[in-house]
Amino acid sequence: MEIVRVPEVHEFPPEDQKFLEAGKAWFKIDFVPKMGRVLRVVPDFGRTYGRASRRAMSDGALSRAQKELIAATVSAINVCEY
Amino acid sequence: MAGVTHALNAVADGLRLPPEFSPSSRTPLLAVMEPGEATPEVKAAFDEIMTFYAMDRPPAVFRWMARDPGFFQDYWAATREAFRDRKLDRKMKEVLAFAASLTAKSDYGVDFHYREARRLGVSEQGMTEAIEVAQCFNTVTKIADALQLQPDFDPRPGTR
Repeated sequence: MEIVRVPEVHEFPPEDQKFLEAGKAWFKIDFVPKMGRVLRVVPDFGRTYGRASRRAMSDGALSRAQKELIAATVSAINVCEY
Repeated sequence: MAGVTHALNAVADGLRLPPEFSPSSRTPLLAVMEPGEATPEVKAAFDEIMTFYAMDRPPAVFRWMARDPGFFQDYWAATREAFRDRKLDRKMKEVLAFAASLTAKSDYGVDFHYREARRLGVSEQGMTEAIEVAQCFNTVTKIADALQLQPDFDPRPGTR
């Protein structure tokens, strides 16, 4: 079990709710992932980290699909179930 | 590919084998085979490895392995299979091996796979982006583990 309570989307300020909801389209899913919500618990961290991460994962010299493979590899090496 | 990379890095760094392409003061803890000492079968594999990686000497991690020719030949064949072009091309696999090496903090692997990815055509910008992604996911995996976040996705039926 999580050692912290993961807030629901409606508990965040409107600016953060908008970003979190946009994540559904980004990931093509019908829910807001826990990580996005956890990161926004400290707003000034979550907002800046969120922008940096979104920039890092966007199509560039490497495609977003290639970047997701890199992310999966990092997660595997770190043995991160999440 | 990730498993083979991780294992080769563990052996190379554990035995303190010097990086292949960067200056290093490392001294190997154990002797590696010199190409001149190789049997014909081992030499044939060494030649194949040098062609595969476009190197003028076999990488030290394979020269270590060659002390046991049977193991070496099979492990090299498995490595070649893991890295050859299939649904993912070899260039992308080298980027992934680089990310795996970076994440595992492997001096040997970072040096080796950065060079391989660049040699196979990944641009500096591409490598910069790969490092950014690795950095971001080293951030979130650490946070997820520290907070024991349960996965958002679970492929088992009835668990969502």
